[in-house]
Amino acid sequence: MHAMTRHDSLVRPDCGAARRRDCRLRVGWRAGIAGLMGSLFAVAAHALPSYARQTGADCAACHIGAYGPQLTPYGMRFKMGGYVETDGKDGKVPLSAMVLGNYTRTSKDVATADTVERYSSNSNPAMQEASVFLAGRLAAEVGSFVQLTYSGVERVTSLDQLDLRWARSLTLNGQDSIVGVSLNTNPTLTDPFNTLGQWRFPYTSSDFGAGYGPSPLIESLAGGVIGINPYLLYDKVYAEFGLYTGLSAGTTNALNTDYLGKVKGPMPYGRLAWFDDRKSYNWMVGLSAMYGGLYPDPSDKSASDTFTNFGIDGQYQFLGNRQNIFTVNGSYVRERQTLGYTQGVLGEASSRSGTLDQFRLAGSYTWQQTWGGTLGWFETRGSRDALRFGDSFSGSPNTSGYIAQIDWTPWGKEASWGSPWANLRLGLQYTGYNRFMGGSSYVDGDGNARKARDNNTTMLFLWLAI
Amino acid sequence: MQSTGTGAFGLLLALGLLGSTASHAADAGKAADTFVEECGDCHSLTPGKNKKGPSLRGVVGRSAGTVADYAGYSDAMKQAGFVWTVEKLDLYIAQPRKAVPGGRMKYDGLPDAQARANLIAYLSTMK
Repeated sequence: MHAMTRHDSLVRPDCGAARRRDCRLRVGWRAGIAGLMGSLFAVAAHALPSYARQTGADCAACHIGAYGPQLTPYGMRFKMGGYVETDGKDGKVPLSAMVLGNYTRTSKDVATADTVERYSSNSNPAMQEASVFLAGRLAAEVGSFVQLTYSGVERVTSLDQLDLRWARSLTLNGQDSIVGVSLNTNPTLTDPFNTLGQWRFPYTSSDFGAGYGPSPLIESLAGGVIGINPYLLYDKVYAEFGLYTGLSAGTTNALNTDYLGKVKGPMPYGRLAWFDDRKSYNWMVGLSAMYGGLYPDPSDKSASDTFTNFGIDGQYQFLGNRQNIFTVNGSYVRERQTLGYTQGVLGEASSRSGTLDQFRLAGSYTWQQTWGGTLGWFETRGSRDALRFGDSFSGSPNTSGYIAQIDWTPWGKEASWGSPWANLRLGLQYTGYNRFMGGSSYVDGDGNARKARDNNTTMLFLWLAI
Repeated sequence: MQSTGTGAFGLLLALGLLGSTASHAADAGKAADTFVEECGDCHSLTPGKNKKGPSLRGVVGRSAGTVADYAGYSDAMKQAGFVWTVEKLDLYIAQPRKAVPGGRMKYDGLPDAQARANLIAYLSTMK
């Protein structure tokens, strides 16, 4: 449940979420669709007390560390079951809210051109986002996760996420199974695991940070598309297939989400996973795929840019008696790009074809479902192209680094104060860069050389959900 | 000699008792962990605290399907008409669907007989 994971196909990868609009205006169509380069920023995912009130379960039943979005097997099944499970009592109101505040400091002041409007070039406190959710059971087999977010940094309200589901539990060949269908606005939003774009670590990051480099198509479409995804859980197999189409300029304007351009036919999304829940531990391995073609300029359909994604991912959770929890999540996505429009029409890419490889790895430890520590690695490698990646001295978008986070979640357990009405997380996160835009230094928005490590970011955050 | 023999016997007895106590404590600890791992997501041991399933506080000796403020029982459980004895619990935890056909509990069962016995002994202490 990131807030603001809207794809901005037109920005440079070093544009933070809050700067994306400015970047879009600055860059315009110049960059073309070549880069589905929007990085995932400001990812904020949530444990929703409305679900806890509905089910009678504590946050820790569904979430590792008693706070979202890292799901336990119980939480995964709740989600796959369509958000409709209850404790049998009527009268539950499927509404929640949350607010996320943070203080961000980067190693070196950002360039004037990269400074977020209305904020300083460094050391920024912000009410990053405030959201209301329609989240829970709407009918016997219909449930929702719908998030409306006000960005305190961008100062706009948008439809952040939409996942409306119908699901039914049934027995197939003697196996407890679930079939369902989701209407949603973001590929990977529907996924029950914590390895794909929408739900993987980090679960929140600063709008003032530099991001994690270019992103593949599969995680760059949030808010700009709508899709129908039938899915099935059968024994240990989870399978999902979705078809997405682009939202119109008028619709995205009304929702305050990003317009992608004209989508070339339906964009298929596929997901297949093997999930083995042994109660005290569980593991999964999965495959994901997506294909999409875009006409960046809807009035010009002479050429398009197309993207093909294939990914492999896996996760392991040791839960035991829930007092000492270990998790490991990893993913790899390969993207093949055919830039017929960007290269052929705009002439803003040297080559018509390119690739992008994205690696992510994160390991976490949680003590007593209250104290957590996570260490993550991110790395993106892409084809060199001096025209596309003018900010790079080498023409390469390669970006890598690490994220370390410690957090404290005092509530969210069965006997916690405020349960099931409130939950809270306080955390400290540090992002360090080894490479940014191809090397240890790159060209910042003012045209000056900037070291990758100048973007190292420390964020203190306070996250409250009711 | 007799005194020495008595002392040795006493020491052995004490060690045995200590061992037995430690063994019981270990079993109780294992059973508590088993409860958390197998049952705790859906059931609480807090009196009156119902989740997806009813509170299991005082379940041993209780009539099936009778927790007053729990609204999630299946018709099959409401009409089961038995008391949760140790033997019934053992059958149910081993194979829920077989023990109560038509029940709602989505649980494949705990095949380890010793783990079930420890778990039921643990539940028996939760009066």
